[in-house]
Amino acid sequence: MDSPVNLPNGLVGPDYWRSLDQLADTPQFRRWVEREFPAGASELADPVSRRHFVKIMSASFLLAGLGVTGCRRPVEKIQPFSKLPENYVHGVPQFYATARPTRDSAVPLVVKSNDGRPTKIEGNPLHPDSNGATDSFTQASILNLYDPDRAQRFLQAGKAVTREAALDALREIAAAFGGIYQGLGAGGAADPGASKVGGQGLCFLLERSNSPSRARLQTLIREKLPQARWFIHEPVDFDIHRQAATQAFGKPVRPCFRYDAAKVIVSLDCDFLGAEPDAHVSIRRFVKGRRLTGSSDAMSRLYAAEALFTLTGANADHRLRLPASQVFNLAVQLAAKVTGEALRADDLPASLVDPHWLDECAKDLLAHKGAALVVAGHRQPLAVHLLAHAMNVALGGVGKTVTLHEAPEPTEGSLADLAGALEAGAVDTLVILDSNPVYTAPADLEWPKTLRKAKAVIRLGAYEDETAALCDLHLPMAHYLESWGDARTADGTLVPIQPLIEPLFGGMTELEVLARLGGLDTTNPYDLVRATFRALAGEGEDTWKRFLHDGWLADRASTPMEVEFNRPAVAKLLSEAMFIPAPSADRLEVVIHRDASVDDGRYNNNGWLQELPDPVTKMTWENVVLLSPATAAHFGLDIRDRENNDLQVPLVKIEAGGRVVVGPAWIQPGLADHVVALALGYGREKSGRVGSKAGYDAYRLRTAASPHLLSGAKLTPTGARHKLATTQNHCAMEGRPVVREATLAEYRENPRFVQGMNLPEPEAAKDAAGRPLPLYPNPLDVPDANGVTPRDKALHQWGLSIDLNACVGCSACVVACQSENNIPIVGKDQVRRNREMHWVRVDRYYAGDSTNPQAVTQPMFCLHCESAPCESVCPVNATVHDEEGLNVMAYNRCVGTRYCSNNCPFKVRRFNFFDYHRRPLEELVGPVYSTPLTSSTDGEWDLIRWLKNPDQGKRPGEEWELLKLVKNPDVTVRMRGVMEKCTYCVQRIEQAKIARKVQAGPSGDIEVPDGTVQTACQQVCPAEAITFGNIKDPQSAVSRQKALDRNYTVLEFLAVKPRTTYLARVRNPNPALPGGKDPTLLSQEYLEKNPPLPEGHAPAARGNRSHGTPTPAGKGDH
Amino acid sequence: MSEAVTPIPALATPAELERVPLVANQRSFGWISDQVAAIVEGKTPRWWWAVFIPSVLAFLILPAMLLYQITTGVGVWGNAHPVMWGWDIINFVWWIGIGHAGTLISAILFLLRQRWRTAVNRAAEAMTIFAVMCAGIYPALHVGRVWFDWWLFPIPTANGLWPQFRSPLMWDVFAVSTYFTVSVLFWYIGLVPDLAVMRDRAKTKLRKIGYGLFALGWRGSNRHWSNYEKAYLILAGLSTPLVLSVHSIVSLDFAVSQLPGWHSTIFPPYFVAGAIFSGFGMVLTLLIPLRKWCKLEDLITMRHIDLMCKVTLATGSIMGYAYAMESFIAWYSGSPYERFAFINRAVGPFAWGYWIMISCNVVVPQLFWFKRFRQNLALVWVLAILVNVGMWFERFVIIVVSLHREFIPANWSYYLPTWVDVLTYLGTFGLFFTFFLLFLRFLPMIAISELKGVIPQADPHHPLGGAREGGHQ
Repeated sequence: MDSPVNLPNGLVGPDYWRSLDQLADTPQFRRWVEREFPAGASELADPVSRRHFVKIMSASFLLAGLGVTGCRRPVEKIQPFSKLPENYVHGVPQFYATARPTRDSAVPLVVKSNDGRPTKIEGNPLHPDSNGATDSFTQASILNLYDPDRAQRFLQAGKAVTREAALDALREIAAAFGGIYQGLGAGGAADPGASKVGGQGLCFLLERSNSPSRARLQTLIREKLPQARWFIHEPVDFDIHRQAATQAFGKPVRPCFRYDAAKVIVSLDCDFLGAEPDAHVSIRRFVKGRRLTGSSDAMSRLYAAEALFTLTGANADHRLRLPASQVFNLAVQLAAKVTGEALRADDLPASLVDPHWLDECAKDLLAHKGAALVVAGHRQPLAVHLLAHAMNVALGGVGKTVTLHEAPEPTEGSLADLAGALEAGAVDTLVILDSNPVYTAPADLEWPKTLRKAKAVIRLGAYEDETAALCDLHLPMAHYLESWGDARTADGTLVPIQPLIEPLFGGMTELEVLARLGGLDTTNPYDLVRATFRALAGEGEDTWKRFLHDGWLADRASTPMEVEFNRPAVAKLLSEAMFIPAPSADRLEVVIHRDASVDDGRYNNNGWLQELPDPVTKMTWENVVLLSPATAAHFGLDIRDRENNDLQVPLVKIEAGGRVVVGPAWIQPGLADHVVALALGYGREKSGRVGSKAGYDAYRLRTAASPHLLSGAKLTPTGARHKLATTQNHCAMEGRPVVREATLAEYRENPRFVQGMNLPEPEAAKDAAGRPLPLYPNPLDVPDANGVTPRDKALHQWGLSIDLNACVGCSACVVACQSENNIPIVGKDQVRRNREMHWVRVDRYYAGDSTNPQAVTQPMFCLHCESAPCESVCPVNATVHDEEGLNVMAYNRCVGTRYCSNNCPFKVRRFNFFDYHRRPLEELVGPVYSTPLTSSTDGEWDLIRWLKNPDQGKRPGEEWELLKLVKNPDVTVRMRGVMEKCTYCVQRIEQAKIARKVQAGPSGDIEVPDGTVQTACQQVCPAEAITFGNIKDPQSAVSRQKALDRNYTVLEFLAVKPRTTYLARVRNPNPALPGGKDPTLLSQEYLEKNPPLPEGHAPAARGNRSHGTPTPAGKGDH
Repeated sequence: MSEAVTPIPALATPAELERVPLVANQRSFGWISDQVAAIVEGKTPRWWWAVFIPSVLAFLILPAMLLYQITTGVGVWGNAHPVMWGWDIINFVWWIGIGHAGTLISAILFLLRQRWRTAVNRAAEAMTIFAVMCAGIYPALHVGRVWFDWWLFPIPTANGLWPQFRSPLMWDVFAVSTYFTVSVLFWYIGLVPDLAVMRDRAKTKLRKIGYGLFALGWRGSNRHWSNYEKAYLILAGLSTPLVLSVHSIVSLDFAVSQLPGWHSTIFPPYFVAGAIFSGFGMVLTLLIPLRKWCKLEDLITMRHIDLMCKVTLATGSIMGYAYAMESFIAWYSGSPYERFAFINRAVGPFAWGYWIMISCNVVVPQLFWFKRFRQNLALVWVLAILVNVGMWFERFVIIVVSLHREFIPANWSYYLPTWVDVLTYLGTFGLFFTFFLLFLRFLPMIAISELKGVIPQADPHHPLGGAREGGHQ
């Protein structure tokens, strides 16, 4: 009876139950269950049990969901690791040191890799000449890696061939020129094989590079093929700096400018904060010399003479606008005063420069011997550079403000030389590595015709571009993140280029192609780089590992050289230099310059850069013809300006040297009169889908002799109009103290001048202790039952400080934020409607009259107000505050009423008007935007595609897959209809907190140490203008910044209590110059619109502000 | 002439000022029934088709535009940074404003014993309901993710998330939906006796059943009338605060924010006045042609027109005062940002909008001081349309002009609508007129039973049954 398992009666012996159901059906069992599990017993009796119901319902929900909403995730096949790679933790990113090679330098990097795909580029903070900062090009270069328009095929005579076939063709060429000619060469069958021995007729066209491996391969190939010829073409060439230094000092050296060591800097048309090489390094050095922690600190003074309005000019204390051709004249006069001897005085034409300005500038330089620096820009001729060196020598700057480093003389010929060789029929096979001469060659070389004088053209290129179309064999080039390489940074340290991913499209590197053509034993890029490193740093495997880990290695190239000024040579060269007459309205001067977004065109297909507003003009998606207001008025050009919406400008024709370019005119305040500025890099005939059709091609005016400056140009309005897209077209600050600025003298007199610009805050009710009570209590300050507020409870209170005195406006933060936070590009049409999605915007204001204004820049992004006005108006609680003071967005909860944006005083919220991530850009060209109801993709109706996979969007399948790779997996990709904004990189904060918790273990010390969390904008900032951290900790860097006397809050009177505050800007004008003692033009504007109120009517501080009688703006010669 | 002595006029008893009767020409009960019912029962007039066909065509545009917007994105409209609300919210507020007159006429004037309301209240209420429908489309569909609109309702869900009750948009949801519900109920209750009239007069089976269903078995007994009158009074009492609250709350969408030009305590009363102003403008716009086309001159008399013109004048003058006061406060506040917002309205890039608003809303109604103009129907009709134009521009000025230039000058921008904005707006007109014309053809546009109560014959002391000819009250 007492069965061990307590079975009901009748179920013993042979009467086995066959199934659980049978067992369950017996009344005994039921009784037993009821006794044992009274709660669940009814389920057995009830034919429609809860469990059954849930089962049916979940199945039907699943069915319903198949069609509509249930299936949010596409089905993806995953292949698990059969063996886990070493050190791999799923979901945890890995970081690798690498570098981005530039023309004559490199940017040392640390790149984040998520599951084997690089997602974010940062500067390498370990590198001695870096603070971990980078520039916008570097930030955006990751997008090029995943560009679906990149060259993906091996092309032979325009037809796609296999990689093997292409490599065979390369081998045949190598064999042909290597002397074992078998009649298989590209088109060279008629030639006697012997003539090709030693590489005769083989020409290489390269871009500039300072890769030791490439130099080594070149040497190797030269040995094997001594007859082969080498040429270099660089559309924007910075080699002039090296040439000038080499000439001036009689040794193969290049200069390195130490802006941090200089107290007085004179820039001769040198945009060292923007268009010059390694601008991010220069920015850091420059800002270091101007950083203020208190009013007693010293700061450097910058004089800039320039034709364009560049960032350098915007940050100058004295900006002299001058046609580029007249800078030589200025340099001659200044050098005469500084060096005390006339290097070139005989035939000095009349100068446009006020002699008083020259005197005072020279005096200032001479007063700071050993701490003065004169720099000349790459667009200026050699003579100006030589004069700058002469001045630096006279001022004792050599070795202090300018150091000289060894730089081997290049042995390659120029593009003009190559053109000559081609014309002479001396080129049998031309190998073009990376360069795109069909687009970038000076117009007078007529490259498309000249190129085909070679019998065969082989090209390695990243895009199937203009040059690719004229090649016999085209090889896809690997991105620098896909391949091995090496380079030297400007300070001479060696940096590795490590791949983070296998070449996505099977591309090859320059080194690989060279090795194959040279018939070298090894063609593996890793082996090539490793061999070079062995030669430079010895055999040791540890050194190599350390090199790869740290991302740099110092060797002899980084030590400055001792030099002596070669005065006779300089004098001789100077005497040969020609003065160019000043331009006039009939003889305009054309300045052709590097573009701040697409460089010389190499980033033309990069959407992030195309949409990055030019730091000064704020123009996106194309280049414009810049004219000064007076010049534009002279030609009767009117800009139909509806304040940043539907901007229409006249198209003008620029004629110079018999060549013509047509582009949209744009008025640039502060530009020198009678100067026309044209940016390179646009107007591509063959580019990707992003870059084609954008802008005009300024290369069509260029000549080989004078690539940057053309005189005697003519301008004629065409009568047609063109639509432009700019992100900011209201340029005046209207006297509002949004950016606060003072001169150094004013600041010293009244260190708390920023407080004087505050408006009275509205009077609030006060509590018993006399503290103001807000209408809605700040949730951070509402005490719980124990009287503890969330503010006290939270370990961290995040805050941010932006030093406007440091920010130069380079806009790298905009791209860094875009890369970190998965921010889409929206296209030109949408930018025209102000719908760009950038979370960080850099506002640029002009002060003073438009002839010669001063400019200031201000990065603006969500300020994370403690009493955030956006939060209280959201009807669905989609934007709320967290206890650490972040104003957070719950994208999933947002329905998109846009009320938060309306109520945001700073207008830092951006709205997804369309599904920007998922829509191909060509579909964003209004006014009729494509709807999925009528459009189709890949031959399939978009509505069906959406039903099948709502996440895919309207991009073609492959493009969509590539697009997904570039996304940061830690940040939500926002869909259309939701609002978004800066989060203070909350994903980084959370990662740091988690890491800290893991690290802390049982110790419980989970406060994130200061400096651990860096926002993306902070990390990229070369000026270190952004400080982020815990403001609860009074010792944190951000708290110390906020404690400075220049700290102020924008629109403080609204009492929204932003967590982001600004440090006021300080200019350091020379008091001896006209206007040097006046308040800055921005302050004058403020004082005009906000006259000091009588006593007792205003916050006391405002009256305290010392200032002279405001002078009419723009009169002073700043 | 100067020597001529004016004779002293003989002392005469001044003629007693007579009230103009509410129904002209001493029309009888039967005439009224016939006349009003004829619009429904008679042959469809040609003018009806002439208005109806374009209205339906315009109405068809609306779903097309909304479908386009929902499938494609809010970007098809002109809304853009920093003007995140454009024609969507302008039209919402404009339609809501128009939807004010109906309930004001039927509820507030009812409580104030303004008997002249009886001739116009039915049509005005219908107008209200259709206008609120047009208005409701905008806030529901202007959001980025329409399919989540239900999150704005306080529905208890498993995720425990509630809407935010601090947000004025939340209050809007309650205010507008309550207003719509009560307006529909009020209108329907008022319709019941007339539906019974239509049922009794009906000659076809379909009509008998149709009207019979909605007449709720009305037999006109004393008990019915007693209950009816009580229900009507209660609903009038309920509607009255709603008339005031709905536009006050809509105004709080702006007043609660901190934008210069929005952040203003004058908004609630000023919005209500503006709503009444525009509502009467729309009533006049609709009724002036209708009384002629439907031959209702004896029922909607010149006295009605005159009274409505006077209301328009009064509310228009309140608008003028509000504009002046707004500007004064902006100056008096001492805030440069507030001051700028108002200077910018008058002289900024959208000054044309501001001056259209001022001329249509403040200057134009001043003509109604003169009886001559109030009696000129063509002029009144044109001015009534101008009032509605002016009120549209008022919302334009408040929303777009405040947003396009506010605190940080770097954000300043112009606003341009798109063709989708225009066609959507046109579509709402299509909806409005289609429904209104259907209402005219299927329901008595004048409250027959109520109107009979205000004619002299209804007075037991009238000579035709009681008092002096032509008079009453």
